[in-house]
Amino acid sequence: MNAQSPYIPELATIIETFDETPDVKTFRVVLQDPAKMAAFRFEPGQVAQLSVFGTGESTFVICSPPTRMDYLQFSVMRVGELTHRLHTLKEGDPIGLRAPLGNHFPYQDMQGKDIVFVGGGLGLAPLRTLLLFMLDNRADYGNITLIYGGRTPEHLCFKDELKEWAGRGDMRVELTVDNPGESWTGRTGVVPAVLTELAVSPQNAVAVTCGPPIMIRFTLEALGKLGFTDEQIVTTLERRMKCGIGLCGRCNIGEKFVCVDGPVFTQAQLKGLPQEF
Amino acid sequence: MVERFLAEADLPAVAAAWAREYRVLAPVREGAAVVYRVFSADMHPFLGRPPSSSAKEALLPQTENLFSYKYRKDQTDLTRTEVFLSEPVPPEPTLILGPRPCDARGRHLLDRVFLERGVIDPQYTAHRAATLFVSVACTRMENTCFCHWTGGAMDDETGSDVLLHPVTGGFVARAVTLAGEKLIASLPEASASVLEELAARKQSTPPLEPAPDLTGIAEAFLAKFEDLDFWTDQSARCLSCGVCTYLCPTCSCFNITDENSGMAGRRLRTWDTCMSALYSLEGSGHNPRPSRAHRLRNRVGHKFCYHPREFPDAAPSPSGLEFSCTGCGRCIKSCPVAVDIRSIVLDVLAAVADKAAEKTPEQPGQPEKVEAK
Repeated sequence: MNAQSPYIPELATIIETFDETPDVKTFRVVLQDPAKMAAFRFEPGQVAQLSVFGTGESTFVICSPPTRMDYLQFSVMRVGELTHRLHTLKEGDPIGLRAPLGNHFPYQDMQGKDIVFVGGGLGLAPLRTLLLFMLDNRADYGNITLIYGGRTPEHLCFKDELKEWAGRGDMRVELTVDNPGESWTGRTGVVPAVLTELAVSPQNAVAVTCGPPIMIRFTLEALGKLGFTDEQIVTTLERRMKCGIGLCGRCNIGEKFVCVDGPVFTQAQLKGLPQEF
Repeated sequence: MVERFLAEADLPAVAAAWAREYRVLAPVREGAAVVYRVFSADMHPFLGRPPSSSAKEALLPQTENLFSYKYRKDQTDLTRTEVFLSEPVPPEPTLILGPRPCDARGRHLLDRVFLERGVIDPQYTAHRAATLFVSVACTRMENTCFCHWTGGAMDDETGSDVLLHPVTGGFVARAVTLAGEKLIASLPEASASVLEELAARKQSTPPLEPAPDLTGIAEAFLAKFEDLDFWTDQSARCLSCGVCTYLCPTCSCFNITDENSGMAGRRLRTWDTCMSALYSLEGSGHNPRPSRAHRLRNRVGHKFCYHPREFPDAAPSPSGLEFSCTGCGRCIKSCPVAVDIRSIVLDVLAAVADKAAEKTPEQPGQPEKVEAK
């Protein structure tokens, strides 16, 4: 964060961009000041405000892990004004970055446990941070399972990594798509159905989930039926944000602010808040 | 502390003297409204009625620069650009003349957000340090006023540097802070007769209607939270115009946008309103507060539930809670469709009390009340 003002971004440079899906693009950025980049620290699940000066600022999760600090990675879906503008940027272009913001996944509490990642679409981005962090500290965690789905095979993010993870031998990867098209040979169906079918055990396990609201709703239901308690379910919320530091007001849920008290919450914590999602 | 006298006729000259050291924001009549304008020699400040807007613009300007940016093309490779950022200009020393005690207390509630919540806002801090409040005590409650519900009073000094008490021909000026004392040091001492008049007026002011008991409002609000029919009913007339939030001395939500002009521009902070659908609308199209009912619920909830829960140890109102509301009544007075936050608060309490009464029949053994529906 800038020493003078929390509103003034650090300057960063895009070092690489590539398409994940027809509407998701990945950006790898470094801070322009090498000393600041070397000193930059964050925790898995924390977010950043990315600035395109002249268009504005939006919140994105840092989807690379703190164990891999050559760059900070962001995967951005093209949906609004800022993200349309971001998608036009190329290697070498300057952007602004305010980070790290928010809380993080409680990875310390997850040590020694089996981890079940349940993701849909670009909801895999925050899970990727934690997953890579855990793979880089593999001995600290039990079995790792990833259940991940997309609308079509084309809409799955991080495709190369999905293959790599499936081949590692120290984790399980279950992929599914809603509409398989012609070349897909894997599972078809929605994520919660796969979760139920696999009958993932809640014994000494934590489920970490992120995806579209409809997927989250049925995933929570499926996890409940499998015997997961609310304390065993961790999710990360999206909200429209502006300041990212708990002042501008819009991301409140009751007296909590998603940008500082979140974005990561357990299902038990969410149930204690006014139900306004 | 010496009590001094400020003659109504001397107001322009005194304001002009202050204006040599401060940017003076003074209330003036513009049509039916009383608005703050930067003082100039030809103005006669109007202190006869509470200003139409709150004093928060002195501390949280409607629009302010967070920083400026400039792009420069690399002359050796025109596909490359560099960007340069510069900090905003620090605020000028400012004196705001004419806030009411409810507005001055709003300063203290803005502090909660910008100084005490977590991240200290550097721009607010600068405005806060550079701004003095010369407030005017009230002599009567308008029918929209309810400062005493929230711990205020017509002559409450909280948040003021100087408090002016209206008397015949002018004001008894009482300094509240050291900075305030310096401001009024050159005014003549108040005579015994004006002090007597002031004391006599206070003595003869009729007692206020007692404030309702708001002790249980935060819990009652939460109990009523999911009754969307109740909130739909309460918000049926609301036009989402946002005037309630813009005129509020404590509403502090803001937007951040870029204003671009060619290769340069600035990032601005502007007042925002939670009464707008756009306020919480997400890029995906999802909106956690999709209807006016949700949005009105949030405004009332923030002021009477979330704020006291966030700051439970704060200086209490008669109910033992600090609300994010000073009872200035501007949201009631200026609402084009007469939404009244007081009646919403009372309806929440009444609805929850009714429900509790339903659950516990008055005499055991008697048949329970049959619900009307």
